[in-house]
Amino acid sequence: MKKDMILEKSNLSYWLRQLRKEMLLIGPMHGENGDIVLKTVENIHEIVLDCPALIPSPKEFLFPQKEEMFGFSTEGTKNYRNSKRRLIFGVRSCDVSAIGLLDRFYGGKFIDDYYTARRENTVFISVGCNKPDPTCFCNGLGTGPFLSSGFDIQFSDLGDRYLVEIGSEHGLSIVKKFSHLFSKPQKSDYDDQYEAILSSHAMFEKRINLENARQKILSGSVEDSFWAGVAERCFECGGCVYECPLCTCFNVIDRKYSAIEGVRLRNWDTCMFRGFTKMAVNVWPAEKKIMRTKRWYFHKLLYYPEQFGRFGCVGCGRCTITCPGRIDMATIAYRLKVGNNED
Amino acid sequence: MVNYHKMDKIPTICPYCGCGCGLYLHVEEGNIIGVSPIRHHPVNRGALCVKGWNSFEFIQHPERLKYPLIKENGVFKKSSWDEAIRLVAGRLTDIKKSYGPDSIGVMSSAKCTNEENYLIMKFARAAIGTNNIDHCARLCHSSTVGGLAVAFGSGAMTNSISEIADAKVLFVIGSNTTEQHPMIGMHMLDAVDKGATLIVADPRRTQISEFAHIHLRQKSGTDVVLLNSMMNVIINEGLVDIPFIKRRTENFDAFERVIREYPPDVAEKITGVSPHDIKKAARVYATEKRAMLFYSMGITQHITGVDNVRSCANLCMLTAHIGQPMTGLNPLRGQNNVQGACDMGALPDVYSGYQKVIEPSARKKFEQAWGRKLPSKPGLTLTEMFDAVLTERIKAMYIVGENPLISDPDSSHIREALEKLDFLVVQDIFMSDTAEFADVVLPAVTFAEKEGTFTNTERRVQKINRAIRPMYGSMPDWRIISEISKKMGYNMEYRATHEIMEEIALLTPSYRGILHHRLDGNFGLQWPCLDPDHPGTPFLHRKKFAKGLGTFIPADYIPPKESPDKKFPFLLTTGRIYFHYHTGTMCRRTSTLEREYPECCAEINPEDANTAGIKHNSMIKVSSRRGTITVRAYLTDRVSKGTIFIPFHFREASVNLLTNPALDPLAKIPEYKVCAVRIEPVL
Ligand code: SF4
Ligand code: SF4
Ligand code: SF4
Repeated sequence: MKKDMILEKSNLSYWLRQLRKEMLLIGPMHGENGDIVLKTVENIHEIVLDCPALIPSPKEFLFPQKEEMFGFSTEGTKNYRNSKRRLIFGVRSCDVSAIGLLDRFYGGKFIDDYYTARRENTVFISVGCNKPDPTCFCNGLGTGPFLSSGFDIQFSDLGDRYLVEIGSEHGLSIVKKFSHLFSKPQKSDYDDQYEAILSSHAMFEKRINLENARQKILSGSVEDSFWAGVAERCFECGGCVYECPLCTCFNVIDRKYSAIEGVRLRNWDTCMFRGFTKMAVNVWPAEKKIMRTKRWYFHKLLYYPEQFGRFGCVGCGRCTITCPGRIDMATIAYRLKVGNNED
Repeated sequence: MVNYHKMDKIPTICPYCGCGCGLYLHVEEGNIIGVSPIRHHPVNRGALCVKGWNSFEFIQHPERLKYPLIKENGVFKKSSWDEAIRLVAGRLTDIKKSYGPDSIGVMSSAKCTNEENYLIMKFARAAIGTNNIDHCARLCHSSTVGGLAVAFGSGAMTNSISEIADAKVLFVIGSNTTEQHPMIGMHMLDAVDKGATLIVADPRRTQISEFAHIHLRQKSGTDVVLLNSMMNVIINEGLVDIPFIKRRTENFDAFERVIREYPPDVAEKITGVSPHDIKKAARVYATEKRAMLFYSMGITQHITGVDNVRSCANLCMLTAHIGQPMTGLNPLRGQNNVQGACDMGALPDVYSGYQKVIEPSARKKFEQAWGRKLPSKPGLTLTEMFDAVLTERIKAMYIVGENPLISDPDSSHIREALEKLDFLVVQDIFMSDTAEFADVVLPAVTFAEKEGTFTNTERRVQKINRAIRPMYGSMPDWRIISEISKKMGYNMEYRATHEIMEEIALLTPSYRGILHHRLDGNFGLQWPCLDPDHPGTPFLHRKKFAKGLGTFIPADYIPPKESPDKKFPFLLTTGRIYFHYHTGTMCRRTSTLEREYPECCAEINPEDANTAGIKHNSMIKVSSRRGTITVRAYLTDRVSKGTIFIPFHFREASVNLLTNPALDPLAKIPEYKVCAVRIEPVL
């Protein structure tokens, strides 16, 4: 489905305020000293509409870093599936593209109850990027800066108004009741959107073609010494995976509250850790860092395309911000192209 | 005010290491559900290390201490706060009456806030009336505090972390930076990427050494010789900054005479480093302008700790590499607030801001402010306190957030002391091995449940913010202390921690302008901050050293107290590993960290292992003159031949059963980095 509307900017606060009565409103807000983070919107006028890429990615609302799955005791178990209704305003196109892939991963062949319960009760409003960050490279992947489908609702900022594109039933559900706030778009609105898209594309600083990187690896010409040079710089922080809107790994642990009571949790995990594949009697199949860094890149660049027909990267640039070793996707894709030594 | 029912992100500071990274705690309905880095923070710039990323997990761990415990007939019983406070105050008062205030020893904590450290030291000095107060800085950087105070007048990092990336030479000695101060390591790699030269001096092949242009693998315990020899080269080759030495330093001649004794070929025999490498490192360091020197435990944890530190200071003065941006001497402090705990005077000889207790004017100032007569004799250091227990000079101890049974050298000795105490109070967030010996255990809160400030290694005083209510029945340390103090007849009335900060600012010149409201939303202030409008100080000793002239203090080589011999042929050195922290109270309750490194491993060079018949991953026995532990062998050439490395985080293989309690004569820091051991396979 697809339905387009126009929303005057002056009507936005009113609309969000009404929606907030029914669901928890989360949006980009000022954090510490220049930071902008996604959190509960206390004052609607404080939402930062023109915000850069947010860290961490909004996957935290569907797949939180720590999630209680169920409690258990001698009395039986108690399921903790979270089905609070939430509206998440101000995510970016790359995030929406990533959520599309997460939906396929967690809601495909195997259904993940915890993810699905949250997903079914969450509506995302994405804002097309008029001002991409220096770290962004979604333009080369078709995962941004504006999307033509796959979103719940996409906003395009046209100065005094938004072009509101509704792309799902979820999205429609929060517009329908308030149709008096919206009007029909004119041809000139689409022209303005087209202009916004073009000028956005012109602003990208990075030009990364992951297909080049993939072909280079497939050609077999990338030696292990290249990956050794990458691995050497890895701090084993896990940040690349924690931040990546597409990484889905978790670890399951039990916590004992008493002799008869406990809770099962899942925490974000990462393939960058040697313990990720630890086996009994002290066998660590991926003990060497090189095996792990290489695996991360192979998964994103080779296995994802095989499995989903798309790269395991949407070009959000978060790993570029968060990797202390500066061995993020954009850098490595570039180095794969030019070789390790020419930086 | 925190709204406990929303999804909020509370900015605060990582509770692990001295980098002091900014992070958000994600809170949903009173639950901490995650962590993310603060993107614009000058230290971590949107990154975190694995400990920071996982710092949320231990906070709400079910093993948290939930209520005060009182030991009756050898078993702990749940008690009320009232009862516990009454008991502690009563017993401490009795012991003070019968044996005098100096029969009580207080250990503060580098994990607690500045406000709490200040209060604990006030409690010891004013409420109890003793200078017997110390904390774990004794075990890591007391040699820095002592050594640099005499050389420069201030024992802290001279530069800021954000300057590192623009330095031209980084000389890293005795610091495994990428693992122990990962976010500082990040800035170092950035500097190297931008063309800086990296010199690493470390007996182990650490991760940072892989990036080094020059890696000097001196024998553990020979740092003085290595540094003296570099200075010998610098003097001989005329690379000395003479105008700087004339204008800003003293005692050069005496120093030069000693340095003459250490030409590179002599040094080679002791350190094992070739004259060629020594010369190369000396030239690179001396000739570049923006040169920063970094050091950590590899320098300080020796019986010659103070000498090592002084030698580093000498090297900086000799080449005028001090007093400018990207140019200076940078001790990397370990614990998140070890800098602050020292600044606050949780030390036996100084009040906050390093004002000496023997100085009548300083004492008078504090006496007036606190309304009590204060003792004038410096108290016992942490390492001496345990000896004093055995000689019955100390009858009672109050330990806040420390676990000396695992962290201090020669654990059997500590155990004996703990058993002997008449009265022991331990205040902590989890039951610890030390707390098992306590008469009263008081449940304190984590960094997420209180307000206050931490001072990171670059002197940045940063605010931590409360994200959730205190868990179970726990209380912030500062509240516990003031309640007990009140019961002991010394009133401490503070409504909140900012009132304590006000008092600190009033009494501490270097913190004069540091007040809570100035710290909100701007990543803190770096001391010295001399008045309420002062912007803070990113680098020290500009134009003039803190004490006026810098002093060259020559150091001669003194070999480690215990060298390998026939019976104990290996050199054991101890330290931390990336995934864990100290005695493991927090990190070992964090599933990811625990899984990554679940058990204690001894790093052994494959050649040595081969000779001893030891296989990779097999269990071995490591023994010293003081004890024996069983650990898993990990064969790696990170350690050189003849050396064994064991981390100290693991209570089940506590390496401090082996270490030598030999102390630096001035700083009283124990020699964790060198002792002699033998190894044998477990059959
Ligand atoms: S790999 Fe990096 S740039 Fe790509 S989606 Fe993940 S975090 Fe973003
Ligand atoms: S963010 Fe960088 S340093 Fe951290 S685990 Fe990932 S690749 Fe390694
Ligand atoms: S570098 Fe230190 S302060 Fe920063 S996240 Fe890691 S442990 Fe915490």
